[in-house]
Amino acid sequence: MLIDALLLQLGYNATLVAIGATLLGVSAGVTGTFLFLRKRALVSDAISHATLPGVCLAFILMASFGGDGRNLVGLLLGSAVSASAGLWCLNWLTRNTRLAEDAAIGSVLSVFFGFGIVLLTVIQTLGVGRQAGLEGFLLGSTAGMLWADAMVIAVGGAVTLLLILLIRRPMTLVAFDPEYAAARGLPVSKIDMAMMGLVMAVTVVGLKIVGLILIVALLIIPAVTARFWTERSDYVVLLAGLAGGLSAYIGAAMSASAPNLPTGPIIVLMSFALFLFSLLFAPNRGVLAAVLRHFRFQRRVHLRQGLLALAQGQPIYEKLTLRLLRNGGLVRADGVATDKGKARAAKALRDERRWAVVRADQAHEAAAALYDGLRQIESVLTQDQITEIDRHIGGPKEVLA
Amino acid sequence: MWIRQIALMGLIIVMSLPVMASQTRAEAPLKIVATTGMIADAARQIGGDLVEVRGLMGPGVDPHAYRQTRSDIVAMTRADLVLWHGLYLEAQMGDFFHDLERKRQVVAVAEGLPKDLLRGHDTYADKYDPHVWMTPVLWKLVVVEVQKALTDARPEAADIFAANAETHLADLDQLVAYGANVLATVPDRNKVLVTAHDAFGYFGQSYGFEVLGIQGISTQSEAGLNRIGELVNMLVERQIDAVFVESSVSDRSMRALIEGAAAQGHEVRVGGELFSDAMGADGTYEGTYIGMLDHNISTIGGALGAQVPERGMAGKLSAGS
Amino acid sequence: MLDLASSNGQVQQDHGLDDSPLAIRGLTVSYGQKPAVFSVDMTVEPGKMTAIIGPNGAGKSTMLKAALGIVPPVSGQIQVFGKPLDAQRVRIAYVPQRASVDWDFPTRVIDVVLMGLYRELGLLGRLRGHHKAAAMDCLDRVGMGDFATRQIGQLSGGQQQRVFLARALAQGADLYLLDEPFAGVDAATEKAIISVLKALREAGKTVVVVHHDLATVTDYFDNVFLINTNKVAEGTVAEAFTAETLQAAYGGRLATAQVDQLALALG
Repeated sequence: MLIDALLLQLGYNATLVAIGATLLGVSAGVTGTFLFLRKRALVSDAISHATLPGVCLAFILMASFGGDGRNLVGLLLGSAVSASAGLWCLNWLTRNTRLAEDAAIGSVLSVFFGFGIVLLTVIQTLGVGRQAGLEGFLLGSTAGMLWADAMVIAVGGAVTLLLILLIRRPMTLVAFDPEYAAARGLPVSKIDMAMMGLVMAVTVVGLKIVGLILIVALLIIPAVTARFWTERSDYVVLLAGLAGGLSAYIGAAMSASAPNLPTGPIIVLMSFALFLFSLLFAPNRGVLAAVLRHFRFQRRVHLRQGLLALAQGQPIYEKLTLRLLRNGGLVRADGVATDKGKARAAKALRDERRWAVVRADQAHEAAAALYDGLRQIESVLTQDQITEIDRHIGGPKEVLA
Repeated sequence: MWIRQIALMGLIIVMSLPVMASQTRAEAPLKIVATTGMIADAARQIGGDLVEVRGLMGPGVDPHAYRQTRSDIVAMTRADLVLWHGLYLEAQMGDFFHDLERKRQVVAVAEGLPKDLLRGHDTYADKYDPHVWMTPVLWKLVVVEVQKALTDARPEAADIFAANAETHLADLDQLVAYGANVLATVPDRNKVLVTAHDAFGYFGQSYGFEVLGIQGISTQSEAGLNRIGELVNMLVERQIDAVFVESSVSDRSMRALIEGAAAQGHEVRVGGELFSDAMGADGTYEGTYIGMLDHNISTIGGALGAQVPERGMAGKLSAGS
Repeated sequence: MLDLASSNGQVQQDHGLDDSPLAIRGLTVSYGQKPAVFSVDMTVEPGKMTAIIGPNGAGKSTMLKAALGIVPPVSGQIQVFGKPLDAQRVRIAYVPQRASVDWDFPTRVIDVVLMGLYRELGLLGRLRGHHKAAAMDCLDRVGMGDFATRQIGQLSGGQQQRVFLARALAQGADLYLLDEPFAGVDAATEKAIISVLKALREAGKTVVVVHHDLATVTDYFDNVFLINTNKVAEGTVAEAFTAETLQAAYGGRLATAQVDQLALALG
């Protein structure tokens, strides 16, 4: 069943949801990355929660003028208007009061959202028919995705991605070093506004699909996931789009393959699963890699210190050191150095002397910066350079037993 | 001297106030608050002029999701009698009613129904399908419960209530007959009712229809993508060509279903809008229980190929229904 | 020719306002109600290295940031090479304080330097080989060529500072403004930076540095500008960097060690 779903063989509705959700996942992942880099991730939460009153007011307005209160375009316009109002309030609060940004976000989020919930209860009592479905904006209703919705997401997503392509460099610069950006004449606050505007566009487009409570996850989690895998900001953006799209695709497929699996939450769980995997297994920044690195490092340090001790005739006390030396065939069971051990010890000592020369010499600054007590000098300098140094320090010294 | 006389008069007046008050109270209408429109309608039918009924959930309101507002609470705490449905229909208000019970007269009118008449829930052993108003046969029992509640609250009017109830129950019998007659003429292979949520179980039971809902018994469970796919395949396989939307539930999932069937080359149309968890607009025929059921029966019958009189049972349905 | 006498009566060299790389008139900047910089005038001499010095909190960095439009001034006029600031941004390169950046940001050394070329590249221009070569060249000039693909968080403080300088070099500007470039850096870095700055001066560029170390003023700089919320003195090192002006700027705040050092330096 799942395989069929992944291969888009489960019918029109499942396919539509999978493609629509994937497009949304990619746009949200890419857009959210810039928020993440700018350290404003939670502003997206404020924006999404601020859409609720606008949706309700738009419904009330349209219904009271006799129209169909649930006209989607009208509702989305309403959501955009109140989200913009929320953003404006946020900006005003951080700029004109002493409120810290996180407190401002919390205030705007709760006040707007609370107002929206009040409006929802008011709408209940209005006696206007066909108000069902407004609560769907909270958690989305992916199962009811129509062709028109998929079109909205596709167009909205494409426009968003295009705009991001256009202003990716200013946004990156502002995220990294806003003062330098200002000095270069970039309009920092306008660029920030543009970024927020793009986030708002993605939020509004995704409202009916995954709901305002979950759209935040689609914006933030892929960026955080991508961060584990690369040190280049442009790659973070690409990987975040990939992570967002992948988790949306798999999540939609999973929800189509078995009953009682709501699509929006499953997508978020997939996103989290990718994040967890990255947290644990990413090669440089992952937890497992860090643990392995630590143990490897510990062993190498002990081995090195043991060899140096041997070379200088000092006694070795630490059990781990002795065990490592024994396992490497460098000492005998009684702690006396073998021939192999003596040779290695001699080299270790010699390398230390070579390193001392390198670190004292300005010309070798880049190499000297790589000294960490363990690195092989041959991996840093050429043979000629090493020979040159050897001329300074004399020949190798014999290690006494 | 005259002070004493005034004081005596005052005392007599004050002492007779309670008696006067109780006289006036006995004449004031019984204030009732009902949750769903159907219960409110029943209370009005039985109580007539003796009751003043306020319904909380208007047309188009989903009782599964309804949360009481502050003015609702105020009305309920001031009411003489509060009627709610029970059976977990008003899922968000259950705790509130259990609290209110301690202070006011609160009656869950559907809870008293014999359990063997109810549809069980597939997953939960002691939970039942609450949509008992969907067939007049069961609803008659609820009307009797409402009559009992009103009588308990105002025993002096017991006879009046009993007379009104009898009239109303007779009308309901007429509805039962109408339903049975009309829906018997639906061709067997058309006896499939596809709706937004599983509200028509008792209807199906009563009239021999197979009932398929996109969402489960409560609208609070999200419509699953898998379920949509399943239903689309069913529609195509069995060549079902009419589905129904509901007034109190979003029609989005239904539209998705229709699009899905269209993608497989099978055209499905919306047979009509049904009143599932809420009645029609206030002040219209469809805004009463009988009108609601009449509309449902006529719409379903008409869309699925039955012989349906032009304006329903009594010629009272609005045009275009 | 204008005779620009400061409030202390110190005589400055007079230049036409038209050609000064950076001319500041009546600059006042405040955070809240308290002025950090009050009614300051400054005229930078072209082709020279000028140090801005003063006690902590004297408004040195604020002055620089206001000159660049990073913080909004309460009042004041800024002219760069005789024209308003916004028209001349292309000719100014800014090296901010190291602490202002998050060093865990996912970017490599070479990418930071390439950011200096963003204006040249525009929004959509493709990054070509010659851009990379130019960036590498700037890195080599500050001695960071071997570090090009390292993530910036892996660098030491001095190395990060040098990368910032390389980014400024990539712009090919005429006026260089640096905010405490020597604070907390190692000796090798200090040497590298000062040699780059001197090379810039040789090439006719103008360098203005907010500087924290009084002991190196006479070695490194041609002119000084002393500020303590107000301007205290401005002029060549010989004229304006004297015991009197320092006393006026620092009040009693010079530590004894510094005083001794200065005595030696001032000879």
